[in-house]
Amino acid sequence: MSLEINCHLRRGKFNLEVHLTVAPGAVLAISGENGSGKTSTLDMIAGLLACTSGKISLNGKVFDDSTTSQFVQPELRGVATVFQGGGLFGHLTVEKNVIFGRGAAYRNTPRFDSAIEQFNLAELLSRKPSTLSGGQRQRVALARAFLAPSEVLLLDEPTTSLDATSRDEVRSAMKTFFETYNGVVVLVSHDDAEIDELATNVARITILRGENTTAVLHD
Amino acid sequence: MKRGLSAPRGLWLIALPTVAIVIVPVLAVFWRTDWSSFLTSISNETSRTALVLSLRTSLVATSLALVFGTPVAWLLANRDFKFKSLVRAFCVLPMVLPPVVGGVALLFAFGRRGVVGARLDEWFGIQLAFTETAAIMAQFFVAAPFFILVMEAAFDQVDRRIVGAARTFGAGPWRTFVTVTLGLVRPSLLAALVLTWARALGEFGATIAFAGNTAGRTQTVPLAVYSQLESGGDDALALSTLMMIVAVSVLIALRGRWVSALRRGGQ
Repeated sequence: MSLEINCHLRRGKFNLEVHLTVAPGAVLAISGENGSGKTSTLDMIAGLLACTSGKISLNGKVFDDSTTSQFVQPELRGVATVFQGGGLFGHLTVEKNVIFGRGAAYRNTPRFDSAIEQFNLAELLSRKPSTLSGGQRQRVALARAFLAPSEVLLLDEPTTSLDATSRDEVRSAMKTFFETYNGVVVLVSHDDAEIDELATNVARITILRGENTTAVLHD
Repeated sequence: MKRGLSAPRGLWLIALPTVAIVIVPVLAVFWRTDWSSFLTSISNETSRTALVLSLRTSLVATSLALVFGTPVAWLLANRDFKFKSLVRAFCVLPMVLPPVVGGVALLFAFGRRGVVGARLDEWFGIQLAFTETAAIMAQFFVAAPFFILVMEAAFDQVDRRIVGAARTFGAGPWRTFVTVTLGLVRPSLLAALVLTWARALGEFGATIAFAGNTAGRTQTVPLAVYSQLESGGDDALALSTLMMIVAVSVLIALRGRWVSALRRGGQ
């Protein structure tokens, strides 16, 4: 029972090789230089990008398999995402952002109330994302990911470009979140302190430069 | 002397003619309008029929641009396909084409002896040329490119990560498009609709070539203005004033938003 990734992504002269196995309850941190393929790895897990070749599966369910041409659309994968900058819907209020999609089933339930309380959003529910600080936006994104049932939680540099105070605030919100989360967590981060504090495993992308660049991600 | 960085000396003087050639005629129309007879002029039989026809055809043409232009704009912004630049070039071709040439082209395509029109007539007994439908088609032909251009820029500005987030949280492609993408581009969409409608309302060249100038059937306001001017009637000025008021209202309503929409998708 785990998230298994053995795949290859080719984009022009850039090659990304990913071999990872992450068990539920684990928090895998991925680090590596800019442009090395960290976000592409998350995109392949989420289904926003298809592997060029190889296979991704979760608990035995195939997400993507180049040999059988199987590809499960992102909305059917049960994956929750927290992107850099939040990835919030700018035209919707905080409340509508939090209950978007699968979360809609939990409107007016204790689960919703605890999401709002845990990420301290009670005062912000009717605001639009553009009026929030970076830290507040990430808390909204985390609450959205918390409310929607998921088996995989993907976080793409959630604290990059935040000031020190907001970073601590978001980091502690993530910590509480991870403690009760049963699924697989994959966290892309540049920040060693963050990785030390939150991750149970670390994978670093190594880059081999030649005529073609190959980035390899191994656990 | 004013404090601050100086502009090239005399630039104001060189800029003046451009501004004047637009402002002077606008003011002239308002200046010469006989305001005491304005309402009677725009509410007589011919004017009223033309106004109602113009309103109806331009709204239908704009709705068609919304329904059929939106997918074109989205595909141009989001998908790579063969001959994409060619498709884009054809979509905006009517913007650089003399409208009357567009009307002639429509006539040779959909007219009674046109490439498609002859078949329509032969098989279904449908005749398009010189009907209200032709007026709508002419307006669509000329105005839809504005819609597509503004909306392609708008769709292009939508953050792919945000659309991706919507997908991962369980919204399918259509639901994501309707609840997220369209929501994000709403300001541009409104600007595009108003701009397209204004262009359709003012259409003249393609209409007169393809739909003709029949009072009560295909004579829209611009054609009525032209006919009045030709026959020396007094209503040309009043109708022009009305169109001018509409155009100025549109610009005030948009407050330059369509310019920024064209530039960066209006986000």
